Amino acid sequence: MSIFERFQSGAIGLSLLMLAGLPMLSSAQSVPRAKTLIIAQNFDPQTLWPNGTTASTNLNAGAAVVEPLFWINPATNKLEGVLATSYTLQSPTVHKIELRRGVKFSNGEAFNADALIHTLGVFVDKVVTPAYSIYAAPMEKFEKVDEHTVLIHTKGPYPAMALALTQVYPIPPGYWKEAGPAKFGQAPVGTGPFKFTEWVKDDRVVMDRNPQYWGVAPKGIDRVVWKPVPDDTARAVGLEAGEYDIAASLSGAAVPRFQGQRNLQLYSVNSYRVFTMVLSALPKHQSPLLDKRVRLAINHAIDNNAIVKNLFFGKAQVLQGQVLRKEQMGFDPDIKAYPFDLAKAKALLAEAGHPNGFEIDFKIPSGRYAQDREVCEAIAGMLAKVGIKAKIIALEGGEFLRQLRTQELGPMSYVGLAPPDDPHFQLSQYRSDWRYTFIQSPELDKLIDDGVKEPDVAKRTAIYKRAVRLIHDEAPAVPMFQGLDIYGSNNRVKGLRPTGDQRLFLYGVSLE
Amino acid sequence: MLSYLVRRLLATLPVLLGISFVSFMLLHLSGDPTDYLLPIDVPEATRQAFRHAQGFDRPIMVQFWDFLQKAVTGDFGTSLRFQQPAGSLVWERVGATTELAGAAMLVAILVGIPAGTIAAYRYGGFVDRMVRAVALIGQAIPNFYLGVVAIIVFAVWFRVLPSGGRGSWEQLVLPALTLGFALVALIARVTRSCMLDALRDDYIRTARAKGLGETAVVLKHGLRNAFIPVLTVIGLQFGLLLNGVVVTEIVFSWPGIGRLAIQSIYARDFPVVQTIVFLSALTFVMLNLIVDLLYAVLDPRISYK
Repeated sequence: MSIFERFQSGAIGLSLLMLAGLPMLSSAQSVPRAKTLIIAQNFDPQTLWPNGTTASTNLNAGAAVVEPLFWINPATNKLEGVLATSYTLQSPTVHKIELRRGVKFSNGEAFNADALIHTLGVFVDKVVTPAYSIYAAPMEKFEKVDEHTVLIHTKGPYPAMALALTQVYPIPPGYWKEAGPAKFGQAPVGTGPFKFTEWVKDDRVVMDRNPQYWGVAPKGIDRVVWKPVPDDTARAVGLEAGEYDIAASLSGAAVPRFQGQRNLQLYSVNSYRVFTMVLSALPKHQSPLLDKRVRLAINHAIDNNAIVKNLFFGKAQVLQGQVLRKEQMGFDPDIKAYPFDLAKAKALLAEAGHPNGFEIDFKIPSGRYAQDREVCEAIAGMLAKVGIKAKIIALEGGEFLRQLRTQELGPMSYVGLAPPDDPHFQLSQYRSDWRYTFIQSPELDKLIDDGVKEPDVAKRTAIYKRAVRLIHDEAPAVPMFQGLDIYGSNNRVKGLRPTGDQRLFLYGVSLE
Repeated sequence: MLSYLVRRLLATLPVLLGISFVSFMLLHLSGDPTDYLLPIDVPEATRQAFRHAQGFDRPIMVQFWDFLQKAVTGDFGTSLRFQQPAGSLVWERVGATTELAGAAMLVAILVGIPAGTIAAYRYGGFVDRMVRAVALIGQAIPNFYLGVVAIIVFAVWFRVLPSGGRGSWEQLVLPALTLGFALVALIARVTRSCMLDALRDDYIRTARAKGLGETAVVLKHGLRNAFIPVLTVIGLQFGLLLNGVVVTEIVFSWPGIGRLAIQSIYARDFPVVQTIVFLSALTFVMLNLIVDLLYAVLDPRISYK
């Protein structure tokens, strides 16, 4: 036997030994692939208790087991009951919730007023549920009227209560007391169409059909598997290869790749995340931006349409000169974005005493948002055309958030924020005492305060229209565009409607 | 030998302490995890309550001392993200990373050593030129690129292997080959170089003069003498491999330590990062010790007192 043959046989033998010795880790597949919905998200959940965090990866998986009281049906964009059947305002501070009857948690505990009051007690506990305190802060006390009716008393009028109720996920009191938040998050019990089965960390979360589900279960799905696939390309090709049925958070690069593939479907969703270029009007951020004419000049110098066309395949939604989205209460159709006009921008700069422009720091997050660096480089290029030399300072995600919170992102930065979907939360960011505001205006503060207390929808809308007009005129930001979320599925999946807050609900989804 | 072993083990203690201190300080200098763990718009009172509950409002040296006291008992604290013991979060991923790193190293050894040996034996020939070319390519291609290309070719075009995940031997093939490819190149290159030196030595000529067959000359006399530098490379690379699986684990959705480390660093999950740093340092130190001890097994001239 030659030296080559010896090496060859040795290598083959060792390879066989290696393969034989590999642990066979596949769990028994008791559910056929045809009845299994496999969803690839970019991260493994941290917890399956939906109120544990606000991360969409956690909420998507967790809410298949632990359902909310209400949801905004993406098909109708209306508030609809899930575990509750109605919400009515009894007085400006008393909110009445009627509960669905005959519902049980999958461990047999009854879903009733006691269970909801227990859940609400957990919801308002800022130590146990800190991530939801922005919704819970106005809630004061809870009252059981009967077995299926609960009153929520708030400290003052709370027009965003309907939105808050979509964030409440009832939990079974007995199991919660036995398990506590951490264990509950690892093995949740709820009323949902699926029951928790198995969680192999960073590999899969498995849920099986809940045979006692009170409602109409997703058709054709006996098992749901949530796969964490952090790499964008791997998520896309895994969908293409048929390993996943749904892939969330796809990158823009997937769009040309998937277009024309008849067995795949792409969903482009305008996100609730609103991107703005912050132009600080605060005296603490000494810069030429303190002059409103300079801020207006920058608004005229940025071509948002070109950014969206070239960097987001023309699919992202350009904002209409205001920080609210057109679906939101308070959006003013009469306000238009400042037109892209370099001559006007130069004239305004000259009028403000900067005919040759100036140099300014431009703080941006690095890798926090899709294409963030490319967008900011485009902005810097556009500003250069009017003589403004924007010095890009790229910040790591954590440092970016710290500087945002401590108002260190001034005078100029690029920010994308996704507050809860009520105009109050969006506009609060411009209140003088907000921790990352970049404007001080008593007039705007009053409008924000009036809006949050106004229960009448028409009056509230009018207040917010005045507020967005004021922000538009003062220009402490360049409203740019809404984020773009891209999802993909194969043609087995029907009825999928991802929402602008990156939520994937399984209601109405079926598998063929 | 035993006293040497004890001395080496004792010497690891200050190393581990130093690494723990430096990593703890660097992590805490990098920012407050509250910014990542809570939504940016929660009320300030909630932020402060959270910081107090987690102990972030204490002086940093007090936090380090607290960490150290618990760490010596094996308690590395609770993950800020998962609200589970950091030690068990890391431990449950050790198997996956060891499996991947082990398979990659096995691929590298099974391919790299024979390739390097044959290239040296056929110095200047076709095989030698091929091995050198592959070694160059292997070390030049970043494994995130190689991984994605491998997925597209084998999972999408030919559909013969899965694109990621863990659970079956098929799922191990692509990540192990991707991770092992650069190692194959390195080991083949080092083996070839050492074998070229060894095959020119006098004892090889003597072995041939004695009438030994070529297989015995090359494997028993040549390879064994050339093996010590190769072993050093394998030992060091295995330590680096455990830390370097990050990219491969992300590309192939492999549920290992590297992936957990990256996510924990981004989220400022200090207890988990600290545990991984500690475990990585310990692994590296132990692998070095094992390699040093193996020298004595391979070369009778080496002994430890």
